[in-house]
Amino acid sequence: MDAFNNLMYGFGIALEPINIAYVFAGVFAGTIIGMLPGLGPISALALMIPITFAMEPSSGLILMAGVYYGAIFGGSTSSILLNAPGVAGTVATSFDGYPMAKKGQAGKALAIAAYASFIGGTISVIFLMLIAPLLSKVAVSFGPSEYFALMVLGLTAVVSLSDKSLVKGLIAAVVGVIISIIGIDMQTGTERFTFGSVQLLDGIDFLVVALGIFALAEVFYMLLRGGGGKEAPRNAIGSLKLTRSELKEIAGPIGRSSILGFFTGVLPGAGATIGSFLGYSMEKRIAKDGDTFGQGNIKGVAAPEAANNAACTGSFVPLLTLGVPGSGTTAVLLGALLVMGVNPGPMMLAERPDVFWGVVASMYIGNIFLLALNLPLIPYIAKILDMPRPLLLSLILIFCMIGVYGMSFSVFDLLLLLGFGLVGLGMRLFGFPAAPLILALILGNIMEESMRRALQISGGDWMTFIDKPIALGLLVVALLSLGLPLLKKRRKKIPPDVAI
Amino acid sequence: MTSLTLKRLSLFALPLAAVAGLNSAAQAQEWTPSRSIEFVAPANPGGGWDTLVRTVSRVIQQEGLADESFAAINVPGGGGAVAWAQIARDSGNPHKLFATSPPIILVPLAGASRYDHTDFTPIARLITDYSIILVPTDSEYQTLSDLFDALKDNPGLSVGGGSAPGSMDHISLAGLADAAGLEASSVNYIPFSGGGDAMTNLMGGHIEAVVTGAGEAVGQLGEGSQIRALGVSAPERLGGGLADVPTYQEQDIDYTFDIWRGVMGAPDMPAEAVAYYQDLFVEMQETDGWQQARDQLGWIDAYQDSEEFGAFLDQQQEQFSDVLSELGLLRQ
Repeated sequence: MDAFNNLMYGFGIALEPINIAYVFAGVFAGTIIGMLPGLGPISALALMIPITFAMEPSSGLILMAGVYYGAIFGGSTSSILLNAPGVAGTVATSFDGYPMAKKGQAGKALAIAAYASFIGGTISVIFLMLIAPLLSKVAVSFGPSEYFALMVLGLTAVVSLSDKSLVKGLIAAVVGVIISIIGIDMQTGTERFTFGSVQLLDGIDFLVVALGIFALAEVFYMLLRGGGGKEAPRNAIGSLKLTRSELKEIAGPIGRSSILGFFTGVLPGAGATIGSFLGYSMEKRIAKDGDTFGQGNIKGVAAPEAANNAACTGSFVPLLTLGVPGSGTTAVLLGALLVMGVNPGPMMLAERPDVFWGVVASMYIGNIFLLALNLPLIPYIAKILDMPRPLLLSLILIFCMIGVYGMSFSVFDLLLLLGFGLVGLGMRLFGFPAAPLILALILGNIMEESMRRALQISGGDWMTFIDKPIALGLLVVALLSLGLPLLKKRRKKIPPDVAI
Repeated sequence: MTSLTLKRLSLFALPLAAVAGLNSAAQAQEWTPSRSIEFVAPANPGGGWDTLVRTVSRVIQQEGLADESFAAINVPGGGGAVAWAQIARDSGNPHKLFATSPPIILVPLAGASRYDHTDFTPIARLITDYSIILVPTDSEYQTLSDLFDALKDNPGLSVGGGSAPGSMDHISLAGLADAAGLEASSVNYIPFSGGGDAMTNLMGGHIEAVVTGAGEAVGQLGEGSQIRALGVSAPERLGGGLADVPTYQEQDIDYTFDIWRGVMGAPDMPAEAVAYYQDLFVEMQETDGWQQARDQLGWIDAYQDSEEFGAFLDQQQEQFSDVLSELGLLRQ
């Protein structure tokens, strides 16, 4: 019961009044930061370093960690209500969350998101507590070959995300990959698709595309269709209560996605966004009613929300046990720890147990705070949908623009946002699904980089993807997930889809 | 009516202000900032430039060194090129500074920025970090020459770094390989998305060795660690957690490499303003607040005034362009 003693020790730290105040302040600020598109946890944490500088390291990390997982928790709100993802990790939540809101079930969708986030967050803290040191080995066992295989597996989700036409889904995915490789190529330093523009050297930020293709396109679409304010406002927020059968239905997805999300988060470089997509597409595939995903299925909200919160906690494993940041956000946390005089790394558990166990214990408390904070707020926040249509549309527009501008302070990015809004509108009008584009945009670049890195290390030998058991295993699963649906179709004696 | 009155007022005020300015200039020949200073980090929050900007601003404020505040501003994009293009348009502005380091030389040499260090006003070099060569703890290589002998026999062995080809880690490694008697372009340099990413791959045994910043690696070294260091690029041994790591020169490879960081200003900044900032930074480096932050971040003071810094930058440019052309990455 070593873990138990340590945890009690951690609670001793986390339950100090000042630390309880920090947890609360952190998750509260995080929730708000998460709700606002664009202002992500990275910039918020970087701005906080001067504040935490003089704090006890455990308090500082408790506060900053609270902001991080609070932002992922709160990010679902704008995904569900406005189709405008608050943070990158909650894009997948909008696939079913927004349709639910449109159906007048906004309250229920937000409640599911809150429960799923809470459970995902809590399950993953238990994992973090029990097996973090062991997991550091898993984290380092992933080299370029393994990442390539993981990204291939992730990309097979394009099939399940392209609802009607696989060809259109694949076209969207290819466009997504192309967008993902814009900018300076990491492997050679060559510019690709930048057309000589300095603005494009760093590539296009994922959130610019997501906000454009989802939120802005939705605004345009409503304008085209509804002609502005003619339609009655969707005043129904709906009940927050879930029926017993609904609870049963989402229990499985939440449990599975929490575990999947946690392990995705442990891998440096994967993180909440990829975790939520993997959770979503896994549930869509194994669900009996998988074809109703994307139209407001409650499981489609539960899975990504559990996964992204679990991944967020998982990303603390490489940070706290190896001292290597797995994402931009944890990189800022690492910097903050250094400033506070703590060296995160293999020795941290032994040298600064107060920091490690204090933060772990504070995460339990923080998740409870988040649930208690978010649930009662839902009816008030969801009122946003009661606004007259013209006001609501303007609000979404302003949200997106502030979000994008606040991220890069670049007018160029605002034009990009507008461009992607029009692209998204076109895709909607011609029946191209947006999700595969976004998925490919997230995975494409990492997949390509990992593949080339792996080949560079192996001297051009393609066997590097087959020699390694983890890589091989992931590729086999990827093949199976592509092949099994086809086999099923054949067994049902339906002629194979000519479109493929 | 109001605007008219204001205009009139300003008609009077302007000459007055000018006279006042002349007076004070005549009195002390000194310049002090008249509004808050924009201190630009040409990158997103969280990186090396950003840390420098925020630390400097914080120390100056806490120690009460300047009457006007330093406002940290992030202008990300193009590895710095977006910010440089913006600042280059602000010629003569004495209230605009930015954090800088080798990319101000490397990015233009790689053809990715129209502006290079000669377009701006050097203010001061502040600190430096060094490169470090890492291997897994259970690696067979005990010294740098072990590693380089192995690289000679098998050029396919992979050495990872935290930045793109032609940027800091690669240049540092290429220079070292050159000094150790290897063809610089023969080293199989694998770029990762950061020093941390490269070190994780090293721990997992996916690559043979890693070159990265010593400050970034120091937390990873020591008892119970999965990696160890073969050498640092400093001219003499470093302190703290790196005291046991021999320099390249100790191992008979005559090569040093500085990952310096400093401050530059808008083009053609008035000499009085440069002098003001120089004095300010000298004063800052003597404060306890700075020394504490510096030690915690693993920085080493390496002050140079404007003139020395400018000459140093020219010399760095020459050195880097030699290495880059050897690597076939020079695109100017």
